[in-house]
Amino acid sequence: MTLAPADAGQQQDGVRATVGVSGDGASLLRAQANRELKEGIKLKTPKFFKKLTASMNEIEEIIEEWQPEPLVPRMSKEKPAPSYNIVSGPPCHKITVNGKQCINFASFNFLGLLDNDRVKNQALQSLRKYGVGTCGPRGFYGTFDVHLELEDRLAKFMRTEEAIIYSYGFATIASAIPAYSKRGDIVFVDEAACFSIQKGLQASRSHIKYFRHNDMEDLERILKQQELEDQKNPRKARVTRRFIVVEGLYMNTGAICPLPELVKLKYKYKVRIFLEESLSFGVLGQHGRGVTEHFGVNIDDIDLISANMENSLASVGGFCCGRSFVIDHQRLSGQGYCFSASLPPMLASAAIEALNIMEEDQDIFRLLRDKCKLIHKELQGISGLKVVGESISPAFHLQLEQSSGSRESDVRILNRIVEYCMDRKIALTQAHYLEKEEKFLPPPSIRVVVTVEQTEEELEMAANLIKEAAQNILQ
Amino acid sequence: MNVGVAHSEVNPNTRVMNSRGIWLAYLIFVSLLHLVLLSIPFLSVPLVWTLTNVIHNLVMYLFLHTVKGTPFETPDQGKARLLTHWEQMDYGVQFTSSRKFLTISPIILYLLASFYTKYDATHFLINTGSLLSVLLPKLPQFHGVRIFGINKY
Repeated sequence: MTLAPADAGQQQDGVRATVGVSGDGASLLRAQANRELKEGIKLKTPKFFKKLTASMNEIEEIIEEWQPEPLVPRMSKEKPAPSYNIVSGPPCHKITVNGKQCINFASFNFLGLLDNDRVKNQALQSLRKYGVGTCGPRGFYGTFDVHLELEDRLAKFMRTEEAIIYSYGFATIASAIPAYSKRGDIVFVDEAACFSIQKGLQASRSHIKYFRHNDMEDLERILKQQELEDQKNPRKARVTRRFIVVEGLYMNTGAICPLPELVKLKYKYKVRIFLEESLSFGVLGQHGRGVTEHFGVNIDDIDLISANMENSLASVGGFCCGRSFVIDHQRLSGQGYCFSASLPPMLASAAIEALNIMEEDQDIFRLLRDKCKLIHKELQGISGLKVVGESISPAFHLQLEQSSGSRESDVRILNRIVEYCMDRKIALTQAHYLEKEEKFLPPPSIRVVVTVEQTEEELEMAANLIKEAAQNILQ
Repeated sequence: MNVGVAHSEVNPNTRVMNSRGIWLAYLIFVSLLHLVLLSIPFLSVPLVWTLTNVIHNLVMYLFLHTVKGTPFETPDQGKARLLTHWEQMDYGVQFTSSRKFLTISPIILYLLASFYTKYDATHFLINTGSLLSVLLPKLPQFHGVRIFGINKY
């Protein structure tokens, strides 16, 4: 029973009125029971009775003073409730936000497959055949032939032995990490890892060691430290598993991880690599196979690749791929796989059709990268805003060059830029974070997304508009 | 928690010694060992009793105090990975009925062995040493203790 501080009583007078001996039925009964108890004790042991009544009166006082804490904490005046931009219709290339039609520079629809007719027709056919949901996890009549087909297709596309499908993209890496890494194991993870990786690490209960973002020397330093500790206690080292968790294309910074160096470190210090390719799948590489194809790294060198299908594939859910020996373990230990309903079959069919399109049209990846380079070049040199991200990253950030001191005022300034652009038909968004929950909170930024459906004129218009907005608002 | 029963036990190892019929099975197993040893023609009765006692204590030490962790994955991310079966029993609660049963049974076996070996000095030493090796790890003071770091990881 928590006791609210004394001044809470003044704030909540309405509640106090109901907690009183006279008005409440239950407390009437309790008071009567107390009286009878007191009478009985008074007859038997008078001295003890005096002490007892004193303490019972104290208890009564405390109970009367107690005020329950509010279920919903009070909103402070500085942080009003978040107001959402309401989207009507699909968030495709032309998005209708708050009634205005804008060009979408905010949704992760990299290959423009969200509104693709082939994908939609395939999904409709699947809807007519299977219905909407699966009403069960994979182990309990929730496995459909489309799931097995999608897993097979993904494994073939990524050129790995096997793949496993999850029904929620966030839960993919958050289930995969705790399936392998347990208490006592060590995970080396980048500071700019996304929130789902952080939740997976938290669930794994392992020792987490962070290294500076994309800094291979820092990683080598802590790997060496770990090696020294291992030499001091070889028996413990023999039973601890070590992992490196990196993202192919970081969502928080738009940087690409240096995979060849990571593979070298892997073989030098005997650590397993988990690669999270949510943003780089369908973006990097000649055929869209992700950062392994981009660098020409042998895919067997990476122990587990995890990606969500909610970005390039324009579906829902996620997948992990790798060797059969590794992936099979998740069929019983992946919490999101065993204990969640499986992916709706129409979304699995949509993903299969999206994969078909990706395999047929190999040019879209190069086109996307050219467009990214274009807008990256255009946005250089804006006074007040700096572009954070690789030139071929389709999701990059615009951060304030000089922070105004507090995060709230930075957020408000960036919000004005976003509203300026939205009024002129370019839909942008700020990168939102759960500020209290993030381990290394990134600075506030506007996240710009390039899709293959945006024409060069639209890209130039967006770049000019952002320059204008920065000039008007930041000067 | 009995065999074939659906349960929500995070670590089934904690409840296996409370399952239905396991105490009887254990007693039958020990008597079977004794009978098998008795059937070997060239062993005398005192020797057989000492052998029963020693083999029982060795096997008990191996399974209860040496082997660590669980043979299956548990949903608690490996909390019991470094614990022996004795330490896992009943989630570490001391003096439960299974623990008392498993403490008393080597003592009874020791008393029987002492009687049947007619309190001979060599047999006495071997039996007492064996009994101590299996009683000491069961003391609550020795919960989680690893002497000289043996069997720690």
